[in-house]
Amino acid sequence: MPLSLELTNLPDADVAALARGGRDAAFRELVRRYERPVFSLIYRMVRDRELAEDLAQDTFVKVLNHIDRYRPEFKFSSWLFKIANNLTIDYLRKRRLDTVSIDGSPHAATAAEKEATSFDVSARGESPLDEIESRELGGAIEEAIAKLRPEYRACILLRHVEDRSYEEIAATLDLPLGTVKTYIHRARHELREALGHLRS
Amino acid sequence: MNRHLLPEEIDQLLDGEVGFGTAPLKQHVRTCAECRAELESARVLVGQLEQLPHFTLPTRFSEEVMERVHVFVPWHVALADSVRAFIPQQRRWRAAAWTGVATLASVVLIATLWMVTRLDAVLFVVELGVGRVRAAGAWAFSNLVVTLFGDTAAQALSSSGPAGIALAFLVTVLTALLAVGALRVVVAGARRR
Repeated sequence: MPLSLELTNLPDADVAALARGGRDAAFRELVRRYERPVFSLIYRMVRDRELAEDLAQDTFVKVLNHIDRYRPEFKFSSWLFKIANNLTIDYLRKRRLDTVSIDGSPHAATAAEKEATSFDVSARGESPLDEIESRELGGAIEEAIAKLRPEYRACILLRHVEDRSYEEIAATLDLPLGTVKTYIHRARHELREALGHLRS
Repeated sequence: MNRHLLPEEIDQLLDGEVGFGTAPLKQHVRTCAECRAELESARVLVGQLEQLPHFTLPTRFSEEVMERVHVFVPWHVALADSVRAFIPQQRRWRAAAWTGVATLASVVLIATLWMVTRLDAVLFVVELGVGRVRAAGAWAFSNLVVTLFGDTAAQALSSSGPAGIALAFLVTVLTALLAVGALRVVVAGARRR
């Protein structure tokens, strides 16, 4: 029986052990198992398909190139989501620092400079990729998730989309258990507020 | 319970927690329409979240990941994989391959045992072969020297003994290496121009 067929029946820790032993098929199996959950989490965090693909790729490259650091006493998926979340949060923090006001640079001295550094949001043409994104993330619930703080978003997605326990989320996000419970509670509350008009 | 449920109590019920603490909460929900509506609304939200799909990725994704992953394959794994590649997938062919390997191994074993019992004959044949190879090598080398440097040089070399031959060999190799190096420098210079 080919190795790839045998791998599909093995638990993550065993597949990771085979990957540590240099089995190319084991690396591919780990990517196959988690590419969609990891990509979906990141996509819902950054709401940009191309960027989410890049971050998901970076996540897998980082994890697989350091597979020797994986400790089997922890869940492989928790380790993977931890790295995905860290890369995404780092990106979001960096982007917040790099954000330029749409009204133009605050350092602009003249009106002409301000005009040159501003950009018109409505004039942005919608590419096919944008169309896909608006179809995928255009639902009311996706819009409401997007408005949550990134920390709340990560917690609520891991809890209800990835079906992780509070303890696993705490381990994945390096947060105290109580904080995770609070974040999830607040996220649910904010989502219900945001979606309230749809139910009434 | 004569008060409405606290938000964290709603969460407890929502997460399906069990235990003595939840019994009065459940009892309260049965009798309080407001808390029941609150819990129902939270359940609807959780249901919607749980139905969110996983997005699909382009098929090239895993290939692009694997191109950036450095897979360290230990020699024994590489060897095992190479051997596995030669093993036929079909049971019938696999059985035939194993039969062939077993036959070959038996022949080699019998030949080895035969050679051990005829050790003197084997040593004689090996010695004869080594002598012939050595004579052929010497003849080829002497021909090469005659072709490259002429008869006089070949006679001088044969009269100088093994040390002279070794020295001449060393000088020839060094000259060849220097010539190759010089040629590479010339070619690299020409490319730069």
